[in-house]
Amino acid sequence: MKTLKILLIEDDMIEVMKMNRTISSLKLNHKIIEANNGEEALNILRKKDELPDVILLDLNMPKINGIEFLKILKEDDVLKYIPTIILTTSSNQKDLLECYEIGVAGYVLKPLKYEDYVSKIEKLLAYWSINELKKI
Amino acid sequence: MNPNEIDILKRALEREKAARKQAEKILEAKSAELYSANQKLLKYNKNLEILLTNTDSQLQGVFENIVDAYVIIDLLGNIMKMNDAAVALLGFKSTKEDFNLINLVHPSEAERVQVAFKKLLEKGAITDFQVNIITKTKESKIVHINASIIYDQGKPVAAQGIVRDITQKKANEEQLIESESRLSTLILNLESGVLLEDENRKIVLTNKKFCEFMQIPSTPEALKGFDCSDAAEQSKFLFKNPENFVDRINQILLRKKAVLGDELIMKNGMILERDFIPIIHKYQYKGHLWKYRDVTLRRTYRKSLEAEKHKYYNIISNMNLGLVEVDTDDKILMVNQSFINMTGYSEKELVGIKGKDLLPIKEDQSIMDEKVIERKTGKTESYELRIKNKQGKVKYWLVSGAPNYDLNGNIIGSIGVNFDITEIKSLELQKESLLKKLEKSNNELHEYAHVVSHDLKSPLRSINALLSWLKEDNKEKLDAASLQNFDHIEATVEKMEQLITDVLEYSSIGSEETEKVDINLNVLVTDLLNILFIPKHVNVSIENKLPIINGHKTKLQQLFQNLISNAIKFIDKDKGVIKINVEDLNTHYKFSVKDNGMGIEEKFHDKIFKIFHALNKSKDSTGIGLSIVKKIVELHDGEIWLESEPKIGTTFYFTLKK
Repeated sequence: MKTLKILLIEDDMIEVMKMNRTISSLKLNHKIIEANNGEEALNILRKKDELPDVILLDLNMPKINGIEFLKILKEDDVLKYIPTIILTTSSNQKDLLECYEIGVAGYVLKPLKYEDYVSKIEKLLAYWSINELKKI
Repeated sequence: MNPNEIDILKRALEREKAARKQAEKILEAKSAELYSANQKLLKYNKNLEILLTNTDSQLQGVFENIVDAYVIIDLLGNIMKMNDAAVALLGFKSTKEDFNLINLVHPSEAERVQVAFKKLLEKGAITDFQVNIITKTKESKIVHINASIIYDQGKPVAAQGIVRDITQKKANEEQLIESESRLSTLILNLESGVLLEDENRKIVLTNKKFCEFMQIPSTPEALKGFDCSDAAEQSKFLFKNPENFVDRINQILLRKKAVLGDELIMKNGMILERDFIPIIHKYQYKGHLWKYRDVTLRRTYRKSLEAEKHKYYNIISNMNLGLVEVDTDDKILMVNQSFINMTGYSEKELVGIKGKDLLPIKEDQSIMDEKVIERKTGKTESYELRIKNKQGKVKYWLVSGAPNYDLNGNIIGSIGVNFDITEIKSLELQKESLLKKLEKSNNELHEYAHVVSHDLKSPLRSINALLSWLKEDNKEKLDAASLQNFDHIEATVEKMEQLITDVLEYSSIGSEETEKVDINLNVLVTDLLNILFIPKHVNVSIENKLPIINGHKTKLQQLFQNLISNAIKFIDKDKGVIKINVEDLNTHYKFSVKDNGMGIEEKFHDKIFKIFHALNKSKDSTGIGLSIVKKIVELHDGEIWLESEPKIGTTFYFTLKK
């Protein structure tokens, strides 16, 4: 299975811990790059030397929120090809539609239970590891 | 014969001789006397004859030269003599014609003529006899005759007469009389009271109406000659202002100038109009004419007309509507006070100008141009117009315009009624902006609910994750009781999450952007029953085929889901029965969801629809479910209520608009 370089944009510390624990408990080799907010993520992406394979994006963040970040991303000629999956608590239909309109590769709701979370992330990462992605 | 007898005879003879001698003597004397008398008479006669001849020829001259017709007839009527005038009058050809005058008399007059003739013979003369005749030339004429008898030695022998043709005169006279009588009847019955006084203020003529007006209990005829010097004093009490009445009459009489239309108000309410006309003949004052007219009706009519006019004028000037009248050129002819107030311009500034040039704001000028044209075609209508008043403020007017017609039906301009709706309009605009604001704030609230629910759910997820790690990492160290408590914490967290989800859902109802569509409830509920977790001991059945409803699909689904779940939740019997039914109510459908659960006490029936009023604090009850149901029903213009008996079961009824 392919090893993915994953940019996780998440401001909640525990959410980051959940992701890391999930990956380690599932014994996956994916590399997680952490960004606490959109601004930080943009800084990482602008370097262009270490672009992620996929981006996991939380919508509810301070400074630049998820949707704003998504818009910036899709306007960039290089970055727009990186599949971006929304990982959020918002079941707001409006958010969902807007995201798909701008262009996302997935919209995953964070479940309440940790077990459910692990199961969802496992499937998600498995899916993307079998996908062909743009060669950098 | 005896001697004696002879002797007697002798003596008698003697006496007779002597007597005859005497008689002869007397006769001789008488004869002589007669002769001389005769001679004398002869002489007188001669003189007389001369005299007569003289007179006769004198008369003959007069007779022939007289202008009037002169006729002499014998006592039977035969013409003996006539002059040329008579020939012409009676239609003869010459003076010598032999004719009986009686034959000229009109047959109807025969008797009168007989009588007149008799009178002529008896009295010797008649005068002023008028008679209709038919002349020889068949003309009908009225003639006037003066006639007398001619006597010869005391004996009537003939009649002479002067005949005048009065046909024309008679006709004129008759005409005059006729017109006079007509005139006097006219005056007598005139609707106006007339009083003609001579220069000495004696009544010459008056009429009934005058007597009536002045309440004089006498006939007009009887008043002739009455002195009016004191009349004003006598009549003044009839008038409202007696002294004025008298003063005015004196004043008029002093000036002797025509006065027309003096108004007099009488005590009985009558209003008289009086004219005074002096009569001047050849620069000489000959009297005067008073004429009184009853103008009560006209005056009161005019007064009520004026009052009416005044009333409408007041209404027009004080009404809250701006009134403007324009001519066909659209130039302002008249404005009322309200219009002046509404525009801020004075009447002077407005009259004569074209309203459409001054008032509407630029953007609306084209509207008004259009309307002016339409109005000329006779169209009546209302429209909104923005105008700028003198102070430069924009006002909203509701304008109602209608063409104005003259008596012949020609359009002579138009009349506009204008109502300032600025305030209403600003309220409307305010309402619009308020609605927009409300919509915005509703959206914001909806967003806010999402954000809040996200923010509240995040810590729950974290707690859950941390709990599961704690359990996982300390599997061996935790005893059964602790593990039990961990489960309790997890359950509590779950319930909290459900609560947040329900609150979000509740707040989302109504902020749905999707339109209502036709939903087949039969399909919807059948599908729902397949998805829902229904315990084995519970049987849910649809009793009737459910209808198609115009509504929101997810909401309706939620509605049935909540009610069915609710019913399942409170089933306390070994065998649960849930029945779904429907009934057609014209505009609505009435649905029912009936269970045989624990039932709800009546005192809680209202309470259960209120948010956070769960009756049973159970693991899976947040107390929001029925509030959501109620909100969804209301969203579909329906109502919800229930019937329930504790321990036996509950039926929820709700209606949805078709």
